[in-house]
Amino acid sequence: MLHEKSAHGLTVAAANAAAKAAGIHAGMRFSDARASVPALMAEEIDREADAHAFRLLARWMNGYSPLVSLDGEDALLLEITGCDHLFGGEAAMAARVSGRLAQPGYTHQIAVAGTPGAAQALARYGGTGNAPQILPSGAERSGLCELPVQALRLSHEATTLLRRFGLTRIGQLCGIDRKALTRRFRSRQAADAVCLRLDQALGIRLEPVAPLRSPPEHAWRLACPEPLTQAAGVEAGLQQLTQTLYADLSGKGLGARHFVFTAFHSDGQVSEVSAQAARPVRAPDHVLRLFRERAGKIDPGFGIDLLLLEALRTGPMDMGSRPLSGDLATTGVDEVALSALADRINARLGDGTVRLTHAEARHVPDKAERNGAFTGELPAAESGMRDMQGLRPVRMLGWAERVDVIAQVPDGPPLSFVWRRVLRRVARSDGPERIAPEWWLHLPGQAARPAALPRTRDYYRIEDAEGRRYWVFREGLYDDRRGQLPEWFVQGLFA
Amino acid sequence: MDIATLKTKGLLRAVSAAPASPAAFPFGLGVAGLHEVAEASYGDRAAVTGFVLAATRQAKQGAWLWISQTKLTGDLGHVSQAALRQMQAVMPQRLNVETRTLAEALWAVEEAVVSGAVSLVIAEVDAADFTATRRLTLASGRYGVPVILIMAQTREGATAAATRWRISPRPSAPNRYDPQAPGNPRWRAVLERCRTAPNATGSSFDLEWNDETLSLSVVSGLAAGPAAPRPAQRETPARRRTG
Repeated sequence: MLHEKSAHGLTVAAANAAAKAAGIHAGMRFSDARASVPALMAEEIDREADAHAFRLLARWMNGYSPLVSLDGEDALLLEITGCDHLFGGEAAMAARVSGRLAQPGYTHQIAVAGTPGAAQALARYGGTGNAPQILPSGAERSGLCELPVQALRLSHEATTLLRRFGLTRIGQLCGIDRKALTRRFRSRQAADAVCLRLDQALGIRLEPVAPLRSPPEHAWRLACPEPLTQAAGVEAGLQQLTQTLYADLSGKGLGARHFVFTAFHSDGQVSEVSAQAARPVRAPDHVLRLFRERAGKIDPGFGIDLLLLEALRTGPMDMGSRPLSGDLATTGVDEVALSALADRINARLGDGTVRLTHAEARHVPDKAERNGAFTGELPAAESGMRDMQGLRPVRMLGWAERVDVIAQVPDGPPLSFVWRRVLRRVARSDGPERIAPEWWLHLPGQAARPAALPRTRDYYRIEDAEGRRYWVFREGLYDDRRGQLPEWFVQGLFA
Repeated sequence: MDIATLKTKGLLRAVSAAPASPAAFPFGLGVAGLHEVAEASYGDRAAVTGFVLAATRQAKQGAWLWISQTKLTGDLGHVSQAALRQMQAVMPQRLNVETRTLAEALWAVEEAVVSGAVSLVIAEVDAADFTATRRLTLASGRYGVPVILIMAQTREGATAAATRWRISPRPSAPNRYDPQAPGNPRWRAVLERCRTAPNATGSSFDLEWNDETLSLSVVSGLAAGPAAPRPAQRETPARRRTG
């Protein structure tokens, strides 16, 4: 028996068959249960771990169908349209799933029906033992007529009301004229809810199902006749899948930028590795190479019986002909080869390792450039930017470093400064280049205190006695009334 | 066999690249082969970067791969795109890679050279032993992608690279317009090792970079001396009063 804390003290959360036989059921007070069965084994329930295990199980069910959704906290709904024939029909598929679930010791109840409502009603209320129940499509009315009305997922009030009318079976509801049924409810909404659930179970109205994981546009599966136990087998399977992927995507003129390779273990585990490409690709060698660093992480364990390769974020591949030689090319940059290189480096050193510097329309020099991940697109060639601004240092420090400065006059260039604990005497200096803060980002309404506003920066190009050149700035003016006295920083180093 | 395969096998190369003249300055730096450029003392990294950008010329737009170790960029900063724009006549497309370890950085260099997708690989690394440099030299020669290794002042010992430069900053040229202001940057480049022209080993060059003409020139020893701020030559306008 498992217990949990609730508003009324400890209550029973779940009970096994032996406890149920002794009259203990979920929702009971724990003290009552303990009193009736003194030798009760009790443990606190771990709902988070349960939910996690349940999600893993749902992921593993992707091996049977791409559309899996959670139904409450204790049921899974699989859309098996078009999937059952792969396993030899509905009965064979249900038997197989049942056998797999019984191995780790899960108690379960499987029902197959033409509508989600009917399937869940059968699974929850039509149960007798572990045998799967199969209701042919179109036979909902006869199959459900013996089930209690609670199976229709009605609210507690609605069930109580129906019971007062003497309607306890779904079959009784089906026989009543709709208008007569509606009239018995106090509100229109309550009546509509009952009719909706009934129609959904009978397949008269469609019930939308939100899958846990949206199915990929393109997926290829490889079922193994014998469970794979060697890593080499996984590799060979992946190779075979990439070949099918290539053939399939070439026919459609597509490539993909994100691949997910999933191995379904026979013991209910799922291992998943993913690889990304900078631009749509489909060549088998390339995809294999992206996975090479990571597929080794899949440990076959007790055996893998299904491999699944999914292609996400697909897009058309530009198949324009390339110039015969580099001399004829207009840009001289082979973007396809470049992104292939970036993919390989990213696959080995981690996603986002290859970066590209983008120019930003910002005045502050340390924000004028942004280093973002390379996405396969090179910016257009720039031109005419050279004369827009003053000289910029070749090396920009990651953060402007504070320095202690002695200046001749408060508003003048420094005479000497201490940077990284070394005193540097300034031989020559040039400036200032005044860079004002971006006032449009700090409108008066947004920052009430003038002290919190960014300050004007005066940049100086200076050279010390040894010939090293720095780019230093004084943050703030002496009379700008924004905080303390201005401070000096080193922003970068000139060549 | 498609073009990419031919390129990666080194059978097809762009012929419009500047002809490698390994016997004259800059002895093939940035044109072919593997080259090392080292600091003369700690803190000369900016001068080294400036020298590399100044001495490397590209005839047409290409892609550069700039590889560095994370701890080095954290200490010495990253190369700004603005400076690249100001120092290169043809703005290259530059991809940056930051790696944690030396081995990863060297792997990335070799991978980039072998791919043939970039026209120049520049790597800032801690160290590279003889085996690593030999490996990169062979790859660079075979696939026709030049490699420049930027290294610290501690770089000594055997190397398989074509050249090893040692760069230190010099007081800049006098500024014509403002004697108090720094002028064109100057560096002293010492060619410590040179496989392509053994006679040139040990020669030193006093170089001046002109940021307007984007040209690198050798300055004479006299002019390259310590540049004391000289008083501006005041031109007294000869006023002639016509009466």
